Amino acid sequence: MDAKLVNPFIDAFITVMPQIGFPTPKRTKVFLSDKNAVSKGVVVMVGFTKQIRGNVVYNMREDTAKFIASTMMMGMPITEFDQMAQSAISELSNMLTANTATNLTNLELEVDISTPSLTVGEGFSLKISDGQYLTIEMDCGGHKIDIAIAVDRNL
Amino acid sequence: MIVDDSKVSRTILANHLAKTNFEVVAMAKDAAEALKLYQEYNPEIVTMDMNLPDADGIECSRRIHALDSGVKIVMISAMKDVNLIAKGREVGIGAFLQKPVGTNTIIETLMMLSQEKVSRVAVLRESYAKVFANALGHGLLNMVALKVEPTVELFDKKFLEVDGVAVIIGLTGNPAGRAVAYMSMDTMHKFGQTMLGTDEITEDEYNDAVEEAANIIIGRGVSNVNDVFKDKELRITPPGTICGNGIKIASPKMTTFKITAKTDLGDICVNVGFAEGD
Repeated sequence: MDAKLVNPFIDAFITVMPQIGFPTPKRTKVFLSDKNAVSKGVVVMVGFTKQIRGNVVYNMREDTAKFIASTMMMGMPITEFDQMAQSAISELSNMLTANTATNLTNLELEVDISTPSLTVGEGFSLKISDGQYLTIEMDCGGHKIDIAIAVDRNL
Repeated sequence: MIVDDSKVSRTILANHLAKTNFEVVAMAKDAAEALKLYQEYNPEIVTMDMNLPDADGIECSRRIHALDSGVKIVMISAMKDVNLIAKGREVGIGAFLQKPVGTNTIIETLMMLSQEKVSRVAVLRESYAKVFANALGHGLLNMVALKVEPTVELFDKKFLEVDGVAVIIGLTGNPAGRAVAYMSMDTMHKFGQTMLGTDEITEDEYNDAVEEAANIIIGRGVSNVNDVFKDKELRITPPGTICGNGIKIASPKMTTFKITAKTDLGDICVNVGFAEGD
């Protein structure tokens, strides 16, 4: 995978998260994997087409998803990961990925993104790539989100 | 659902609606209550007052629209000006009425708004979902020699629940969306054996067989849509494959259809969803 394609994802996260109430997002880990990812509880997948092909997956625990959804909605208490919380997390994934797409456009790569697919359930396996892919662990307010990136230039 | 801070206005409007086929499922006195009740009742149409104690009608509409971009909102307020209409359109308000409103005007407006929703679903079903159903039928015939006529139904559950394998393929273009091809583990095993003509297959290879088949079927569906609509430029993203029990796939803000092929190997399904709104 082309390392140049990774920064747009990190930059998007660092740009978008403060806007929704997380002032200091940090990158805490980066690792390569070739095995299937395992769901931590809430997984959102968004696909890329045109000059970039692939998927990005936002993988987090359900309590993280609830915490983020609650913060996005000005601290509204969320006890269950209900439809409103799902909408919020879907919307966040959409914002992050759209922001990434804009960053990729700045590298003169034309991209289009799909609708987010949000999946709930812990421990199921998720295959997003036939080869190696990169996972970046981001921290926002003590909560961790894994961003698994499996994208390549579409030659 | 009626959103109005004045009990008198709510009662008048409810009385008007009592004479129609529309049923008032909820009434809210402020934006917070409107949001809560919208979640609870998921009404087809919301009537919105401009002046609410905790936020104005535009802001309240914006919040509801953020939850569900498919919401139909009609603003009923004392004021009605171009500026208000322009702002309202941005947040999903489909119609503007000025108080006082007669029963007939309300009925006409609500009918118009609700039909808009019906026709969009019909368009998606006929022009998109059925095309994917045909692609599923063709794919099964070509790959595993199964002759089936897949059925299409509107899917309105909160979650698509899968025990087995689900291949998620994103759709970009207009409309954007996603397709999920799924089946049980048992069906996956039979499908893989039939497709590859052997039973010496590893779990990963079974997954790959289903993933490849899904890619072919969805890809064919997309190219058939593109053949008809030259300007839609639908494309598919690479597949993501999920395996496990009790998987729940949500489809917030999407109109989705369940396509089912009942085969000797078990049910083979495709759930195809399109983003709501423009």
